[in-house]
Amino acid sequence: MSAGAAGRAGAKVTALTEALAHLGAERADQLSGAILMVPRAAIHQAAATAREHGFDLLLDVFAIDWLAYPGHRGPRFSVSYHVHSVGANERCSLRVQLDDGDALPTVTDVWPAAAFMEREVYDLFGVAFDGHPDLRKLVTPEDLEGHPLRKDFPLGESPTLFNDGRFLDPATFRAGMIGTSQGRTGWIGGARKGVVSTALEADGKGGDA
Amino acid sequence: MKLERGRTAVQEIGRGALAHEQTSEFETKLMRINVGPQHPSTHGVLRLVVDLDGERIVRLTPQIGYLHTGFEKTMENRTYQQVVTYSNRMDYAHSFGHDLAYVLSAEQLVDAKVPERAQRVRVLLTELNRMASHLLFLGTGILDMGALTLFFYTMRERERILQLFEMVTGVRMNYGYFRVGGLSYDLPEGFEEKTRAFLDDFPAMLDQYATMFAKNDIFVNRTKGVGVIPPEVAIANGLTGPSLRASGVALDQRKAAPYSGYEDYDFDVPTSTAGDANARIMVRFAEFEQSAKICRQALDRLEPGPIKDPDRRISLPPRSELETSMEAVIFHFKLVTEGFHPPRAEAYVATESARGELGYHLVSDGGSMPYRVKVRVPSLVNLQSLEAACIGGLFADMVVNIASIDPVMGDVDK
Repeated sequence: MSAGAAGRAGAKVTALTEALAHLGAERADQLSGAILMVPRAAIHQAAATAREHGFDLLLDVFAIDWLAYPGHRGPRFSVSYHVHSVGANERCSLRVQLDDGDALPTVTDVWPAAAFMEREVYDLFGVAFDGHPDLRKLVTPEDLEGHPLRKDFPLGESPTLFNDGRFLDPATFRAGMIGTSQGRTGWIGGARKGVVSTALEADGKGGDA
Repeated sequence: MKLERGRTAVQEIGRGALAHEQTSEFETKLMRINVGPQHPSTHGVLRLVVDLDGERIVRLTPQIGYLHTGFEKTMENRTYQQVVTYSNRMDYAHSFGHDLAYVLSAEQLVDAKVPERAQRVRVLLTELNRMASHLLFLGTGILDMGALTLFFYTMRERERILQLFEMVTGVRMNYGYFRVGGLSYDLPEGFEEKTRAFLDDFPAMLDQYATMFAKNDIFVNRTKGVGVIPPEVAIANGLTGPSLRASGVALDQRKAAPYSGYEDYDFDVPTSTAGDANARIMVRFAEFEQSAKICRQALDRLEPGPIKDPDRRISLPPRSELETSMEAVIFHFKLVTEGFHPPRAEAYVATESARGELGYHLVSDGGSMPYRVKVRVPSLVNLQSLEAACIGGLFADMVVNIASIDPVMGDVDK
């Protein structure tokens, strides 16, 4: 069923891990596949090494904003380079962490396919890529301020007004639904804000919402 | 300008041009032409800024974003089950492909066990949708080259597929039929017979198409040798899907990393070594037969059985239990209001859509909505190969190249 990701990191990925070890790269695998955490200063060299190891098809460059991730410590953003080796049918990700305002060297000289992908990250997250031949916004309008996929970018939904003058703010409403405490039904999760059982709170167990 | 008697302005200007030619060297300048975003041959709202040297293309820059809807941000603010409403709206020509890619990733997060029947149905519908998508590609693609007739024929067959989808899901577009853990409900009665009847009629239609365009000299001369993308250029530009296979690289995720039980099906991956527009069209044409083959196998193996993962933490309890079991009501309520909470992890399953590698990278923070959704859409990346195909070619061939790379703008802009 999810055989897709499993078993796609074999000898090539192991060889690449060893080749990148002296740069300080470490494996941090996920269900999605092999991930190589690379220090920010070494990312271009790591990309070139990966290319030499036969990872010739760049599938994706994407960023994650860890700002609102519970318990996250360290730099705010991470940028991943998802690469595939056509010859060996193996794939892995190179991932680099960086703070707001940090720039990355472009990898368009290693994989020309990165041109659009880096522009997308620049547009939606505000991560700049030094040396990119054409670093412009990709999808958002020219007059849009900010980077929409950052976690602190507002959603811009209109609140709902009820008859008795009560407002329901959609973002807050939904945020109340994401919980991490154990609910009553054996879920890992809480309940909606305000509905969290007062009984639990009275027990001193509390809800997180 | 003071005109001599009996001389028209045009003649005067003509004289001036002649004088100019005699005195200085004749210079040519690059001409910049804006194509789109409202242009029928761009399959949506694709805008291209083209620099021309006479009739030859020197530079080509796609300007995109006219359909940018912020799907990823929206999905990050919806529960895992609600995301299915949005995923199919990107590539509206191959909706089931997007649905499948999303549910596979979400299932990887929660480690769902999808029943055999659900997997077969998913494969069946995805392959039918691939055929519908290729029919649309073929009809409009040949239409761009000036042949109107085939369009009506492909639309006729596509209509039959859409009617099958309407029978199953109730809608003709944006189906949202798959669920994390299985399907939303079972196939209707009579669906299998109708699908079989369609698959029985289809080979004759393919023969008809072949006589109409594939063996037609005008079509062959129009597309042979146009927009050649060598394999190394295609890989460097990130091209995937049928367009890459037309350049001789047999990369198909259904074979490279089978999902949804594709390893059990007997089918071939059509490739070509020519790498031109003709090859890209003919590879897709050859895929009809293979998709039909997979559909027939899926139908043959379709056994009655459950269509959802019985795990109550992700699937709604059956309707009948709601009247007798309080527990079922609680589970139902929790799933509908809050959704399920996958453990903290990242998931990605690569699938082969009608256009190339498609996958959803999901990051879970333990909450009921994905923390980050990154959709690896094939059309956006494939669009980068358009320049390689067009440079040095005729301006008129650009339309053929766009058609043969087959971008869907909803898929490009997200």
